[in-house]
Amino acid sequence: MPAWFDEFTAAIDSDDQECLVCPACGDRTLPPRQFCPACGATELTPEPLPGRGEIVSYTEISVTTPKFHGETPYTVVLVELVEGVQLTGQLREATDDEIEIGDEVRLDTEPRDDGVALVTFHPAPES
Amino acid sequence: MSCQLEMVATIVGTGSTKYDKHPASSSRELFGEAAAEAFDGIDLTPADLDAVYVGNFMGDLIEDQGHMGPLLADHVGAREAASVRVENACASGGTAVGQAVHAIESGAAEAILVGGVEQMSIADIEHVTDALANAADDVYENEQGLTFPGIYALMARRYMHEFGVTEADLAAVSIKNHNNAVANPLSQFQTEVSQEEVLASKPIATPLRLYDACPVSDGASVVVVASESFAAAHDLDPAAHVLGTGQSSDAVALQDRTAITHTPAAERAATAAYDDAGLTPADVDVAEVHDCFTIAEIMAVEALGFYERGEGARGAVEGETALDGRRPVNPSGGLLGKGHPVGATGVGQLVELTKQLDGRHPNQVEDADVALAHNVGGSGASTTVTILGGA
Repeated sequence: MPAWFDEFTAAIDSDDQECLVCPACGDRTLPPRQFCPACGATELTPEPLPGRGEIVSYTEISVTTPKFHGETPYTVVLVELVEGVQLTGQLREATDDEIEIGDEVRLDTEPRDDGVALVTFHPAPES
Repeated sequence: MSCQLEMVATIVGTGSTKYDKHPASSSRELFGEAAAEAFDGIDLTPADLDAVYVGNFMGDLIEDQGHMGPLLADHVGAREAASVRVENACASGGTAVGQAVHAIESGAAEAILVGGVEQMSIADIEHVTDALANAADDVYENEQGLTFPGIYALMARRYMHEFGVTEADLAAVSIKNHNNAVANPLSQFQTEVSQEEVLASKPIATPLRLYDACPVSDGASVVVVASESFAAAHDLDPAAHVLGTGQSSDAVALQDRTAITHTPAAERAATAAYDDAGLTPADVDVAEVHDCFTIAEIMAVEALGFYERGEGARGAVEGETALDGRRPVNPSGGLLGKGHPVGATGVGQLVELTKQLDGRHPNQVEDADVALAHNVGGSGASTTVTILGGA
């Protein structure tokens, strides 16, 4: 895996993860990018990325790739962390029939045998 | 054809293997079989070709074979033609078609064999799933355990949530296309399916089930595209004219899109193709669209302007896109019923539509004069739209 992703997931572990903001149009995106995907401007500025967000969609996977052989079924969630920034990760501490679109989840990572961290989300209802 | 100086690209020959599991065959054999059919009966030899364009997605991953352009040009008797493999995931075939049409229209070439081929069934399902995942964002999607069906499942779940569409509504697309495939000799599946069978099939990525997904297929399809003047000079009888093409892109990762319940790249490609042809959605008599999953056909008919956003399921549910409906969609059986040998699919759509315009399709749509093909790469990051007219 590229070094930028290791840096991205290491930042999640210390809760100082960042997204990139376009100085010209305000569009937010995830690293690494040199150009704003919305307007093409450069010199994007890092901004703190919230560590929790809302489930946009989810799916329980039953047929997978060799990397995840033997781990099915597992649930992947697409989560909006801040307006314009969505992140994909695996659901933990719940199954797909225990969650709904719009539920609040907390961002985390999990080490794997191949040394590449997995992005995970945990149910985190507002208290 | 508003400008008399513009070269018009015509289709003068077509050929296709049956889409099926052909584990004892190979890309070069499949491609050769399709090309032989295209040349059969027309006064054109492979040596007349300026170029060979090959749509192929996973040759290097499944068959350990890259460099498909010259390999397959050589295997169809056109060793000296300019050749290239075009890779745009599941839109490889449609993208190759667009490149060929542009080369003809510009005058850079006069006759091109554009084809697509895929050999998938020699690998097991996990390795095919892994190869298909190359169409997605490896870091942000595949390495997180999101599969290709999983990406479409995320779109389907959100679409159902926003528009009140049910699993039975999705199933209507599968039932229609499987039923259309029965009469098509090129189809992988030739049996009807019932709603009960679709809804009882095993989940692959909820809410999508096995019958919401296209199968693993092998096959090849080719069309010979020539300029109108070349066709006239060689006494070739054009079966169809290319009226318009359009192509657009989007973020590869679903998480980076501005929309997941509609397909902006397809909307832009469709607008470009309609503008190029000087036509509107209402002019289209028949369409072959990229139904790799049931939800994909629903979003396709919306992107093409046949339905408003959120209304696309009506096509199959109310019978409007059935063979005897107002505007038939996927009379071939589509990817769901006919099969999806990935790189061949976009070219195979043109083979089907050329038969429709020529009045010789096994599921002939009455008075078909304008036909549209919609071919999608990945989960919508690349889309081509091609509009054909009768010759």
